[in-house]
Amino acid sequence: MDGDFKQVYGEYLRDESRQVGWAESIAFPRTEAEIISNLKEMSRKKIPVTSQGARTGLAASAVPYGGYIINLSKMNKVTGARYDEKEDRFFLTLQPGVLLSDLRKYIANKSFDVTGWDIESLHALKFMEKGKWFYSTDPTESSASMGGIASCNASGARSYKYGSARDHITGLRVVLADGDVLALKRGKCLASGDEFSLITEKGREIKGRLPKYKMPDVRKNTSGYYNKPGMDMIDLFIGSDGTLGIISEIEIELSKTSPVNWGITIFMPDEDKALDLVRALRREIKVAGIDLNLNPSAVEFFSHKALKLLRERQKTSAFSNIQELKDTYHTAIYVEIECSLDDEAWKEVEKLGDVINALGGDEGETWLAYNSVNLEKLHDFRHACPECVNLQIDIIKKSNPGITKLGTDMSVPDDKLKDVMIMYNEGIEENKLDGVIFGHIGNNHLHVNIIPRNMDEYEKGKDLFLLWAEKVAAMGGAVSAEHGVGKLKVPFLKKMYSEEEINEMRRLKKIFDPAQILNRGTIFEYVEGQ
Amino acid sequence: MKIIVCIKQVPGTNEVKTDPVTNTIIRENIPAILNPFDAYAIEEAVRIKERRGAFIYGISMGIPAAREVLREALALGIDKGILMTDRKFAGADTLATAYTLSKGIERIGDFDLIICGRQATDGDTAQVGPSLARTLNITCATDISRIIEIKNKEMHCLKITDDGYEEILVKLPALITVVKEINMPRLPSIKGMKLARRAEIDIVRFDDIKADENRTGLKGSPTRVRKVFVPVHQVETSMIEGTLEEKAQKLSELLLSMGMEVK
Repeated sequence: MDGDFKQVYGEYLRDESRQVGWAESIAFPRTEAEIISNLKEMSRKKIPVTSQGARTGLAASAVPYGGYIINLSKMNKVTGARYDEKEDRFFLTLQPGVLLSDLRKYIANKSFDVTGWDIESLHALKFMEKGKWFYSTDPTESSASMGGIASCNASGARSYKYGSARDHITGLRVVLADGDVLALKRGKCLASGDEFSLITEKGREIKGRLPKYKMPDVRKNTSGYYNKPGMDMIDLFIGSDGTLGIISEIEIELSKTSPVNWGITIFMPDEDKALDLVRALRREIKVAGIDLNLNPSAVEFFSHKALKLLRERQKTSAFSNIQELKDTYHTAIYVEIECSLDDEAWKEVEKLGDVINALGGDEGETWLAYNSVNLEKLHDFRHACPECVNLQIDIIKKSNPGITKLGTDMSVPDDKLKDVMIMYNEGIEENKLDGVIFGHIGNNHLHVNIIPRNMDEYEKGKDLFLLWAEKVAAMGGAVSAEHGVGKLKVPFLKKMYSEEEINEMRRLKKIFDPAQILNRGTIFEYVEGQ
Repeated sequence: MKIIVCIKQVPGTNEVKTDPVTNTIIRENIPAILNPFDAYAIEEAVRIKERRGAFIYGISMGIPAAREVLREALALGIDKGILMTDRKFAGADTLATAYTLSKGIERIGDFDLIICGRQATDGDTAQVGPSLARTLNITCATDISRIIEIKNKEMHCLKITDDGYEEILVKLPALITVVKEINMPRLPSIKGMKLARRAEIDIVRFDDIKADENRTGLKGSPTRVRKVFVPVHQVETSMIEGTLEEKAQKLSELLLSMGMEVK
């Protein structure tokens, strides 16, 4: 590789997964037309192209395996708005490089740079004033780009109620490898059974047959291509990790803010009771005859080890804004609730207190946030967990530069929650690893983070993850629930789908990207020289 | 020990907007919260109670809705909430507020300690605490960052100043204002809120106190807001660490570097 390129553009060879790739050139297009002309040229020259947004992904999707990088960070404008008066629904059109944190700010302040907006968009904006809106997809990393969020079908804590990014994307413009464009509107591009036909902007018809593999029956999944007979073809592109085309425009739908939005962190005396609490919250079991109807928007989990790590970190000033974690706190569950009236919320929270007590917990050992200032404190606490792990890894990296964080992103069906927890705990214990578990337990989607203290543990952790991927697949689960397959989880995907099923995916890719120049090594294994 | 904590309801935002004409704070459409500085005052009172036993009163002057922040204080561990609310209290500046609170506190009777937050996050004046102490004619110590010991009607504490810390001894009864360094306030629990929601809050009206009508509310408020600004803080402080000898050495080097003579 050209040494100068690496020196000047080195950061674009990496992403948050801490993997490092290689490339020869890079472009920062500002318009869709520039993407088109870039792709046309690369397609003609058969040069591989990797697209990237804010490079906050954890699966190395944005890490290039040679060729050309198309970095979309300069396409960062919200370009329009739409209001459906009849159904009281609000939509925004944006470029892929818009950052989630910026988008949140624009929406909260109802303030957009409207340069170049059409009349319909300006008119729609007036309706925004009437209500309170928000964008529900909330991955922890708010510096993620919207294109990245669409590409890996990101979700976050509130996906328990609101679903993943897919559920709020209503339109996409996708530039295909040859420079032709697909304009996809939700509801307007359905497959007929397993056959689909899409017309590009140039009038070319792209026809094909959907694969036969069935996706796992889990609440969250972004492992390989979305596939269902009669599916909306827009869903194929969402979560496709940039392997089918480059997203040049996204239309998202906003959700309405609930008047009441509270958070509660609950400390349970052991993990088993914490899992029972989750099941009670999901209304799978009734505790002491109490019919809990909290309807949470998020149900999150912090393992004993995660709390221990936070407690140790708390002694340093880095996390001094977090409440004191008592030594008696074993496992924590975080619940967020939304409703229209305070009284409604109080009624359910009081019932929740009774459930906690009946399970052997103590309703006194809870942190209740019923205003935005205190809710922010609980969010800080939730985000502190992955931050703590990263800090720990950074320390270890100083003496072992080869070590990176090992994190899982697997989900299982509801009835397999306890089984998967046993699997994680036993795996960590048997291998004598340092591991913390946290994340979206409501969706049976936990992040297990292994903190390897040396290269031996690093290798052990990697082997363990592969074993878990196999077991999770056998439970009917997904090997990636929100981060995407990227490059890191290619071996995991092989545990979930057979070779033939992955070949089916590859055939689907070839329909849109015949020379397979897009995002080499993502979803499909890259073998040098091929 | 009898402790009184003064509590204020403030707009729940960090970006306070002021009316360009009246220079007063715009409170419309912003949900109210417990003044963040008062959370430290409540926490400190509750910690004293947990350590050596105490009965804690929370007192607030405000609109009827301020009942909610008193409920939060009850959930956090205070024992009794008192809300002073009356049209005749409305429009009070810091002077009238301190006077009105003093009348409410006189109703409680003997007390050992009053704890106030350093300031409220809406007006940011930091005047009510000291003004209240003056009205009640008791000792006042502001900006307390640590209570070291309470013994024999005396309180040993640390006070934060522009240049560092002062260790001070305060004779009780006294009023202290606390800074955010003093503790990490707990959040209410479900159990606490259950109790608080069922607790009765004492309502005190103008007629319940023997007050001078000309000293409460808008009538008793001589303040006129001309301009709102944040004062510039120009003092920079660095702490000298090490053994006694090292400290002396570093200090003399510092003084020399500043052109002073060391004899």
